[in-house]
Amino acid sequence: MTISRGNRFAMPGLLFIAILAANLAVASFVPLRAESLRMPPHEKVVLKNGLTVLLLVKHGVPLVDISTIVKAGAVADPAGQEGLATITAELLRKGTKTRTAQQFSADLDYIGGLLEAEAAPDYSVVNAEFLTKDLARGLELYSDALLHPTFPADETTKLLAQSADAIRAAKDDPQSVAIPYYCGYLYGTHPYGRSASGNEISLTKIHRDDVVRFYEAHYAPSNTIVAIAGEFNADEMKSKLEQTFGTWPARTVKTEAIPPATPSKGKRLLLIDKPDASQVYFAIGNTGVSATDPDRVAIRVVNTIFGGRFTSELNEALRVESGYTYGAESFFDDRKVAGPFAIFSFTKNETTTPAIDLALQVLAKLHKEGVTEAQLKSAKSYIKGQFPPSIETSRQLARIIASHEFYGLTDDEVNQLDARVDAVTPEIARQVIQKHFPAENLVFVLIGKASAIGPAVKKYASTQDARAISDPGFWPAPAAATTKK
Amino acid sequence: MTKVKWSTLAALTLCVALCLCGGEATALAQQQQEFPVATRTLKNGMKVLVQTDHNIPNVALYIFYRIGSRNERPGTTGISHFFEHMMFNGAKKYGPGELDKVMEANGGSNNAYTTRDVTVYQDWFPRSALPLIYDIEADRIRDLSFDPEKIKSEREVVASERRLSVDNENSGLLDEQLWATSFIAHPYQWPVVGWMSDIEHWTMADLKHHFEMGYAPNNATMVVVGDVSPEEIFKLCEQYIEPIPTHDRPPPVTTVEPEQLGERRLVVRKPAQLPLLMLGYHIPKTNNADFYALNVLRTILFQGESSRMYQRLVDKDQIALDVQSQTEPAFDPTMLEVAAQPKQGIDPQRCEKAIYEEIDRVANTPVSDKELEKAKNIRLVEFYRQMRTISGRANTIGTYEVFFGDYNKLFEAAKNYSAVSKEDILRVAKAYFGANNRTVATLLPEEAQKAAQ
Repeated sequence: MTISRGNRFAMPGLLFIAILAANLAVASFVPLRAESLRMPPHEKVVLKNGLTVLLLVKHGVPLVDISTIVKAGAVADPAGQEGLATITAELLRKGTKTRTAQQFSADLDYIGGLLEAEAAPDYSVVNAEFLTKDLARGLELYSDALLHPTFPADETTKLLAQSADAIRAAKDDPQSVAIPYYCGYLYGTHPYGRSASGNEISLTKIHRDDVVRFYEAHYAPSNTIVAIAGEFNADEMKSKLEQTFGTWPARTVKTEAIPPATPSKGKRLLLIDKPDASQVYFAIGNTGVSATDPDRVAIRVVNTIFGGRFTSELNEALRVESGYTYGAESFFDDRKVAGPFAIFSFTKNETTTPAIDLALQVLAKLHKEGVTEAQLKSAKSYIKGQFPPSIETSRQLARIIASHEFYGLTDDEVNQLDARVDAVTPEIARQVIQKHFPAENLVFVLIGKASAIGPAVKKYASTQDARAISDPGFWPAPAAATTKK
Repeated sequence: MTKVKWSTLAALTLCVALCLCGGEATALAQQQQEFPVATRTLKNGMKVLVQTDHNIPNVALYIFYRIGSRNERPGTTGISHFFEHMMFNGAKKYGPGELDKVMEANGGSNNAYTTRDVTVYQDWFPRSALPLIYDIEADRIRDLSFDPEKIKSEREVVASERRLSVDNENSGLLDEQLWATSFIAHPYQWPVVGWMSDIEHWTMADLKHHFEMGYAPNNATMVVVGDVSPEEIFKLCEQYIEPIPTHDRPPPVTTVEPEQLGERRLVVRKPAQLPLLMLGYHIPKTNNADFYALNVLRTILFQGESSRMYQRLVDKDQIALDVQSQTEPAFDPTMLEVAAQPKQGIDPQRCEKAIYEEIDRVANTPVSDKELEKAKNIRLVEFYRQMRTISGRANTIGTYEVFFGDYNKLFEAAKNYSAVSKEDILRVAKAYFGANNRTVATLLPEEAQKAAQ
């Protein structure tokens, strides 16, 4: 057993870190040195079939990473069939025109390759990694999964059953489901309220035909960005890409805009009962901002001070000074439209209200007092000093350039961040706090032993809701299962 | 697909043993050329390893202390980990809370991890913060102080950490019980985080004793990787670290775990939607000739969706969501763990039976050429995955230096993996995967209502 001191690597806010990785990189920064770290050069090629390809050559270790974004994520799931985008992505490697799922895995593992696909709220993503010496083989495998999946019925049935059980297993670990419940309660029927992995009921309503339809509706060259980074020859790569991805027939697909997300009004509280819990897990907040919000860098600076690092105001109060918890943090998950903002922490049942009261006091203090010059100076150094390791590997870079292309961001996210971070003043911070950090309108989601903590937490909100963790779904409760097998 | 979680363990450190390397000796010899390691042993006995990498203007600095929960005793279990927390809570120059504040204000961040064998401190920072980091590290190695108020609040922090990673996390809970049952004599039997009643009762004297026992510079190895030159690091070490006096190392751990003479079984009943299954097999310490064959065997059985266990339990029989194995670097004979997440309604014993059948098969029939090649290819890629970041390199180099006694073993691993034969696989499968050598831990769901009463 390895036990680590820090909370920063185990936080449930970061549970969906794989999905967010590219997104977090949006708020990126330049280091302290005089010669600023710059985004490595990369080029964009649009193939005849409309596919956008991004190429970034990076020397060092002999690995190549591919990150493909298909511009349809969990928000494209039909209501009642939440999880469809995820299931579609995960089935890509489970059978192609020339390989069974087992053959695909055997070929992939033989070269030590990785290929993982999933759906984020805004898009689906297929990430892969190969040794440079196996690149031709890797590209052939990768394009086989992306272009020629057959979605075998037996593999579909198998995956759906496994996915429903995976949600049940996750509910045995309250930390791992805090954010799906939070997003469900915060967004309600807005597509960001959906859990990308679906729920125990919705997964029973997905069938092979639905998967095929989803793939045909969204997986097309013009709707896709392929980013490749690592050690390779760019010219050879281009001709290889023509031979593989170039054969993907052009098609027009419809894309639907994500409706704007409006902040939650008033105070609402959802208590999810886990009768055996000795600790309560809580998320508090409201909607945050979009990935292109002009205030995104200033928000990053302020959130670093508030809840984004070990010496943040939240962690200092709830961990360092009081010992209420192993960790307290806050995060913004920037998306196409306003993604969630949350404060997240956990504490033993006995200190539930002291810990939540303290978190609210820290938030109130942020509104009342703003941030000081000294805090800003420290946060700016921290952000700039910690940025370079986030663009260190070809894996990180492939995901970042794909994400930037998807959100319409540029290399300035990296190259101008030094200047953008330094430009934040206490006055700008004050405006950002007022505009983007919730004060009175708050959503509370708690997972814990209701009989122990229920009465005490009533004081936080006029609207109260309750569920048992064993109830299927997150929030709102899914329509009763009318399972069609 | 959800993976079985091994308590809240950091992937960063855990897979070191498995991720060491393999495959092409020539490629790795090149790596050794490309990234040479400079070493120096300071007058006080601390060994320093430096690798230059200008990819990013940052530095990863790791200090490995050869002290962990194996150096503890009943009554104060978890003190190594608690001590690790206290190393951030004030010394002579940088008082309580100052270390983190100063480090972050200068662009750095830190963490630390404790295992059964070692305590490792990690700093990640822009190169501009170099002298400051050395000032901070020297201060706490030489002059750590213990503020009673900090002991009080940090004790609560660790209790919360235990609730998070063990008491409210089924795989963490079952893992703890597995070690406690598999080991009856050796200190590996207790959890790194400590039993809750010990967490509640440690004293200032226990902390002081622990510092005196293990925090000698001659009991530590420092690894620095990044935008630095060996010369500047050695100079900083001479200035800041070398003056710290040497003293005795922790007394040797002399207890030897007796051979297990028959299967042990344990059951945990608790509210849960799904059961869990974990198996433990005693295996030799890390620095042992069978290390490489065991890792190749584990790769064939557990790694990737084409692995034998995944194919059998997840794909064919469809009785589990996931099945995997793990080991950790260890100074003493340790345990290879297997964890399976049964599907809802599946009796964990069905998973157990399937696992045993696959073990019997691999122990009695040679693996195919292709499987052996695949495993070696996977080990090679894993090597590069470890070596692609300054942080990964610092951890890998330090782990080899500490657990194999020589970082050069990192570059010899390719040769050692290449040498693994089909006969070796048969031999280690028979030697370590027998029924008498295993402990079986099962978590069975019970009604939530009962627990609430």
